[in-house]
Parts: sequence; C-alpha cells; structure tokens
Amino acid sequence: MATPRPGFLRVAGEGDDAGVAADVRAAFPGAWLAPWLRAKRKLDGAGYGASVVRAWERASPACARCVGPEPAIDLADGVSAVTIKAGRQAGEALSVAAAGVAARLKDGPRFRNWVSLMQRFAALAPESTPLVLARMDMLLARLTVSALEAWLLAGVRIGGGDSEKRRAFFALETPDAERLLDFEAGEATFFDRERRMRAFLRALYGVAPPIRETPPGRHDGAGRRASFGGGVVRMPPSFPGFRGAQGEAIQRAALAHAGAHLAFSGARFPLGKLKPLQLAVVSLIEDARVEALAMREMPGLLRLWLPFHVAQASGALAAPSLFARLSRALIDPDFEDIDGWVRKGRDLFHAARDRWDDPGISRAIGNLLGNDLGQMRVQFNAKTYVVEPPYRDDNLGLWEIDETEPPDPNSAETVVESVKLSQTEEKPPRQEREDEASDRPSERAAPARAAESEAAVPVARLPEWDYQARRERPDWTTILDAPPRPGPERWLDDLLERRADVAARLAALIGAARVGRADRLKRQAEGETLDLEACIAAAADLRAGITPDPRVYQTTARRRRDLSVSVLLDASQSTADPAPGGGRVIDVERDAVALLARAMDGLGDPFEVTAFHSNGREEVRVTTVKAFDEPFGRAQAARLAGVEPRLSTRLGAALRRAGAGLRGRASHRRLALVVTDGEPSDTDCPDPLYLVEDARHAVHGLAAEGIDCFCVAVGGGAIDRAVLDRVFGRRGHVSIARIEALPETLPLLYMRLTR
Amino acid sequence: MPLDAYRITSEPYYRSVGHEVALFEAAYAQRLPVMLKGPTGCGKTRFVEHMAWRLKKPLVTVSCHEDMTASDLVGRFLLDATGTVWTDGPLTQAVRHGGICYLDEIVEARQDTTVVIHALTDDRRILPLEKKGELVRAHPDFHLVISYNPGYQSVLKDLKESTKQRFCALDFGYPDPSIETEIVAQEAGVSPSVAHTLVQIARRSRNLRGQGLDEGASTRMLIHAGKLVGAGVSLSDACDVALILPMTDDPDMRDALANAVAACA
Repeated sequence: MATPRPGFLRVAGEGDDAGVAADVRAAFPGAWLAPWLRAKRKLDGAGYGASVVRAWERASPACARCVGPEPAIDLADGVSAVTIKAGRQAGEALSVAAAGVAARLKDGPRFRNWVSLMQRFAALAPESTPLVLARMDMLLARLTVSALEAWLLAGVRIGGGDSEKRRAFFALETPDAERLLDFEAGEATFFDRERRMRAFLRALYGVAPPIRETPPGRHDGAGRRASFGGGVVRMPPSFPGFRGAQGEAIQRAALAHAGAHLAFSGARFPLGKLKPLQLAVVSLIEDARVEALAMREMPGLLRLWLPFHVAQASGALAAPSLFARLSRALIDPDFEDIDGWVRKGRDLFHAARDRWDDPGISRAIGNLLGNDLGQMRVQFNAKTYVVEPPYRDDNLGLWEIDETEPPDPNSAETVVESVKLSQTEEKPPRQEREDEASDRPSERAAPARAAESEAAVPVARLPEWDYQARRERPDWTTILDAPPRPGPERWLDDLLERRADVAARLAALIGAARVGRADRLKRQAEGETLDLEACIAAAADLRAGITPDPRVYQTTARRRRDLSVSVLLDASQSTADPAPGGGRVIDVERDAVALLARAMDGLGDPFEVTAFHSNGREEVRVTTVKAFDEPFGRAQAARLAGVEPRLSTRLGAALRRAGAGLRGRASHRRLALVVTDGEPSDTDCPDPLYLVEDARHAVHGLAAEGIDCFCVAVGGGAIDRAVLDRVFGRRGHVSIARIEALPETLPLLYMRLTR
Repeated sequence: MPLDAYRITSEPYYRSVGHEVALFEAAYAQRLPVMLKGPTGCGKTRFVEHMAWRLKKPLVTVSCHEDMTASDLVGRFLLDATGTVWTDGPLTQAVRHGGICYLDEIVEARQDTTVVIHALTDDRRILPLEKKGELVRAHPDFHLVISYNPGYQSVLKDLKESTKQRFCALDFGYPDPSIETEIVAQEAGVSPSVAHTLVQIARRSRNLRGQGLDEGASTRMLIHAGKLVGAGVSLSDACDVALILPMTDDPDMRDALANAVAACA
C-alpha cells in the first residue's frame, strides 16, 4: 500500500474534514483522508448530482475495509467515468455494487479490474449498465471477473449495435444470455453433453428419438421437467439446484426414465373422464411400472434413480407429499411408510408384479388410489403440481392430450436442434416421419424470419472466436442450408464452348495426371518377384563369403491420389462488381470453379462445392452446389450458375462448416479451398479485426485436425495481403491479380497444390 | 505328412446356434468353397477350427492384410547358398497336400491378390504357379474357406462380384442372449449370472452399432471380460478394461458405455 507524499497533507487543508463521518475516518486513517476528501470534492464539483456522490461516500468505507483505501478512493474515478457514459443512475449503481463486489473479491487488483471493466462496459452498452450492476451479486456468485468480462462482451456482440437487443440480453430475458452465462460459469448444460447422453439412451433402450429443449416458460423455473411425446424427448438444459456431477446424474436419470417410457409405455392412455388428481396418480404408478420393467433388465438403474427419492415418511397429508412418498415406496425396497394410503399403493403395485408388462395395471391401481384420496379429502391443486422427484417427466406423453404448444419465440433455437439431430444421425425411417411432423409446427412458429430466409433450414450452430475475450463462444453462428436456385441448364455446355481452349488444355493435363503410374520398387525385403540385379549381387557376396543384402525382391506400387476437397465460393455482394474483361467478378469465379470442378471430377478426387454468404451471425447461408457423393454434371453446374452475389462474407463460419464436412472424409489429405474476392466482413461486426481473427482461429483449428486451408484471392488490389497472411499464413494463399485469367489458373493451381 | 503341424487334436469348444454344422459338412462333401460372414469375434474362426477337427483335416489359416500379395499366398523364390529355391506359400501347401485353407478377413487383401483363388474355386480346382511354371492340381481333400465381415469396411473394400459368386455363405451373428450366456459362462468359466450380466451389457453396446461405435462388444470380448472377473477383478473394472477401452477412444461413447455398464450391473 503506497503512502501519499507528505505534501498532499498540507494541500488538503484543515477544517475540510470537519464533517467527515466516523466510518470514513476509520476506513481512511491518517494520510488517506486527504486524498479521499479530494476525490469527494472532485465528484461534488463535477455536477453529477448529490445522489451519485452520496452513494460513493457510503460505499467507499466498505470497499476500503475489504480491498484497502487506495482502490476505494480510485473508485471515484470509475464512478465519474460511468456516470459520464451511462448516466447518474448507473454511476450510483456502480458504488452500490462496488461495496458488494469488494466484499466478495477481497483483493485490490481484482477489484480495480472489475471497476475498469465496468467503465469499458458503460461505454459499450450504457443503457444496460444499471441492469448489470443491479445483478452484480448474482453474476459474480457464478462468474470470475474475467468470465464476467467474456459474458459482457458476448452480450455486446450479440446486440451488434442494437441497444434494445442488448438490454434484453442483460436483463437475462433471452435464452442466449442464460446459455452463455452457464457456459462462462463452466456449467455444462444437457446440450453440452448431448452426444454422450444420446448414446447412453440409445445403448440402454435401442431408441434414438430426437432430443429438444423444453420450451422455457412452460413451467416456472423451479419446476422445469423433462417431457416426451410425439416421438420426441424434451429436456431442460439444466435442473435448478443440481450442479456439477449431480447435475449430470439427474440429467442421465431423467433420460433413462424417459427412455423407459418409450420402451415400455406403449399406446397413450385415453383421458376419459379422469380428474387431474387421478391423472397424476395413474401417471405416478405408470412411472413406477416402466422403471420396474427397465430394472428387470438393468438392475443398476436403481442406483441412478434412487438418490433422487428423498421423501420422508412423515409430514403433512397433502397430495404432493403423499405422491412423493408413494413414488419412493414403489422404488425403494427399504423405505417404510406408516401411512395407510402409501402402504396400500405399494402392496397393490407389488401384488401385480406378474402383470407389470400390462400398462392397464397402472390405470387400475391409479384409479383405486385416486378414489381413496378423494374420500380422504386430500387437497390437490393441478395448477401448482409438479412431478417429484425432479428427474421424472411431466407425463404429458402418456395421455391422449391434444398437444398444441404455445407458439414459442425462441423456436429458432429448437428448429436448429431438431434439424441438427435429424441430419447428423441416421435414424430408422419410422422415426424420420414423426420428426418431420413435429418439425413443422415449430418452423411455422418462426414467422418473420422464415419468410426472409426463403426456406433456408438451420443445419448447425458453430462456435466463433472472439479475439478480445480470447475465447471461443459455442453455438454462436447459425448455418442455414440455402437450397440452390438452379440457373440455365445448358450453362455448362455454353461454358465449355466459350472457353473451349482452356477446357481442352485442362483435359490433356488431367489425362496425364490421372494415369496412376506404377512405380517399380527394387531391392525390397519383400515382393512378388526377385530383383535380378540384387540377386546377382547377393550371390556374388555369398561366394565371396560376405553376408548378402537380404533385400533381393522387387514389387510394384501404384501411386494413388488420396484427397478430399471442399471448395468454398465467396458469393458476397462485392462479387457483383464488374470484372476487367467483361462480366462480373462472380461470373468469372463461377467459370473458374466449374472448370476446377471438371478437373477434380476428371482426377477422381472426391470434392464438394459450396457457396456462402451471410447476414449476421444468425444467418450464415450455405448453398451446396455439389455434394461429396454426387458427380459434377449439368445439374450441379446449373446450381453453380444460379449462385448470385448477396450479403456479406463470414469466412470463419464457412470454413468451420467445410471442416465439419471434411472431418468425416477418410482421405490422407483434406483440403478446404476458398475462392474469395475480399476480406471477411459482416453486418453485425463493426470491428474489422473480429472476423479476421475468427477466420484465423478457424484455419488454425482445422490445421490441428489435419485439414489444410488454402485461399485463392481474386481482384488484386482490393485485398490486403496482410489480412490474408494473418488468416491463412504466408504460404496459405495466392492472389490472382488478373481476374480474367482465373478460369485457367485455378485448375492449374489446384493440380500443383495437390501433386 | 507335410501338414501334420496344422492338425487340430483336441475338440475346440463350439456351441452350435443353428444347423451350420450340417450345412458346412454338406458343402465340404461337395467341396464347395464356403464364405463365413459376420461381425468380428462372433465365432467364425472357432467354427472353422471346430469343423476341421470334426472332419479330421489339417487347417491352414492365413490372416489377410492390406500389403498381402499373391506371392504371400502362393509362394516365392528364396535365395540360399546355391541359388534360388521355390517355397510353397500356405495356400499352395493346402492345395498340394489336402487341407482346409482358411483365408481370414479376405477383404483386407488387395483385390488383385484374391483372384488367385478363382481357378481353385470352380470345378477346375487348379492353382497355376506362374513364376515356377507349374500347375498344381488340388488334392481331393482340399477345401477353401474365407471369412468376410460385411459391416466392417467401407464400400471401397468389398469383394469383387466374380469372387463373391464362387462361394456358399454362412451368416453368423451374435448368438441369442441365452446361448451367448451359455458360451460366455463355459469359455470364461464364470457363473451364469455373471455371464448373463455381461451379455446384457453387450446388448447395450450393440445398440450403439453404427451410431458412434463401428461394432458392439463381441462374444470374444465378453469372454475376456468374464475371464478377468473370474480372476477376481470387479465387474465394472473388467468391463472397462476388456470392453469399453478397446472398443472406442471417443470420450462420449466411453461415458455412455460406462453408464450403460453401471445400469446393467
């Protein structure tokens, strides 16, 4: 702790400190009082209003006690800066929050970091600053200061300059905000573990239903439950109150339970004239029945489910408590309950042991028990009832209920999940149909957006790298699969006529490259035939008494091309610029890619061609011109001809998407080849460095997986070489200044690249 | 007898699951080449050994691999102090002296390698040794058996149609749970209840076939796990060591399998 120089003492003057409260004197003893007074005078004089100054006056002693007097005094500068950027309310809130933060951090440097973070944040998102400060205690309970910074920056990025969007994010009104908060807090949600959970479900029951997120707002936060029905399982991302290993265990328990329903519940029960109370009891018995059946085959499931049954054999005779006790009595062999109703339920259930295979017993037993409850005049409130223990689902899937869901504003999220699932997993055809049926309503529920994106289907959510926060944010961009709009059918024939000379030269080159030469390998340790020269030498050695070289065979080996290529065509608006030599840049690019595609087809290299453009992070549109498993013919060329310049270039997302395709290819070499005319840019990224750094990160990520990226930049002067160097590395790109030469150069370049 | 070393003297345990023994005997009687299809570790090799023992014929087994050439099957010239000496390969030995030649995982071998068996698998029953300039007529006892795992390799590795159509095929799968339990209990020397649990676990892993796992746990793996249990290893450790870790390196799949094991045990 630095001691102020003695001079300050005198300058501060006497008499000034007459009205200083006792707690301030205690917190800023001796030489610290003068700087505190000066800071106060400065705040007073700045005209922020008395409430701002008073809030700081009140907070500073508390801060000083936890983090020392100096950071507490410097807080005044932070208050000043925040008030200027974000207004009085924010300035006041900073002081109020600071007291709590200081008490939590108990560390001067970290406290200062936090103050400076809030200053920066006030400049970036002034309207949201009071909101965030008001929640600071909750935020820092879950996040470290650096994680807080990352979360704040994420919100600013999501807002993309729209203050209303930012406000919604920081008020935690959007699912993104919660999700990212979970992510920064290091808490894995169900969907982070989705792959292993799906595998678990499939392993246990051999079923693979699509898993979606339970729509928020269906229940209040505490009672969010799993759900199944219509061939779909819905899971909440997390169960409040269960974190870490427990959080994972309850998700697994919930999934195992839902799976037991899918495996054993059979047809839905008709609702008939059942009252809500009876519905609840029948559902409870059915829960126990399917669990009992599952445990017949897999006794270890008991260890998974039992820990969540915590009901005690005492307490009020209210329906929720009785239900929880009956649930426990049915699964826990060691649980003794004195209540007559619970005992009766257990005895009935176990007496029916031999008929557990029949779902009808749930109804029969449930009806009996339900009537008993009615006679006992037990209160039951269907509106507030949630199933206990929390791993059990809401049982809506058991009943013939018309499941019209309320239109849900976040359905873009769910659509992605479902499409992602249906595309990455090969499903038995039976489920595919159900899937489609259940996709439709949610697609309809994304009204405004769907029209804009012309039937483009979200296929994946990919991460993106934020160089400022130095972290990769999961599920940040949404990749839409935009169906191609085919151009003229005879386009390829026309092209081959127009560029007959180039096409002919390429054909000759390809012919030469394609014939896999058989190399004769001599002096091998193994081989089909003897290598005569080696044999003679060996025989001579033997006669001379020298140990002969044992490598006396020869063999032939054929050189094989073994690579898969993903060609990415930048189709952003800038490619509509006129090209020297006639036409637009995109026209030349298309010609070049078509000739390249013919060359690759001729060489027999598996490849895909996609065009991409983007409109913000939620709309990275990718059009498949040619997929890996189709030939390059007229239809594919026509799709290429239909690619038109639009929107912006979000290069990193396009590269990651290409990487996902290449990852599955079993080739020795995998190459992502980008044809672009400009630097990465997008509407929601005012910072030009952001997308450059993201693309660089994507290239590095792919390289780590053994996928090479190469960029062919056209248009010479328009592109900054430094940017390409930064993204692809110095040897990872080539600029072609004469655009008109591209159709010839691109295939040649490709052959050189892959020789 | 040159092939004496290849004779099987004591009965290899084999639990028949259908009438495959009778079918094989019929095919052998007509000297029709046989193809055994089925996933790895389901008992194909054991079946051939058992049949060789039943028929009292020597069994020459060749495990095929990517670098295998025709010379590896047929034979080659070797050098000795006086010059070159021809040495019969395993296939030629079986052809000359009358044994069952079993080419294990034949798709692994290059396609040009497999065509050397063509002349042996039709009514000619001859094996031309081009390099030596000899035509070997097959011994009356000679019989060719190959194994082939259809699900295991990509489309790139498939048998030529002209090769496939020379064989009778027996399809092997994992046996029914009750039979598999019996096999595991017998081979691993564990109690039927342990064997039953292992078979239940295997069923779960086979649910993941093609969905993260190339294959589920094979009967052979279950026997390994069972042997470990018999040696005093706990069931979950045994499953970890003998089933999960060898099968996959994917952390998600390992997690799912470990939890499936916990659910079954």
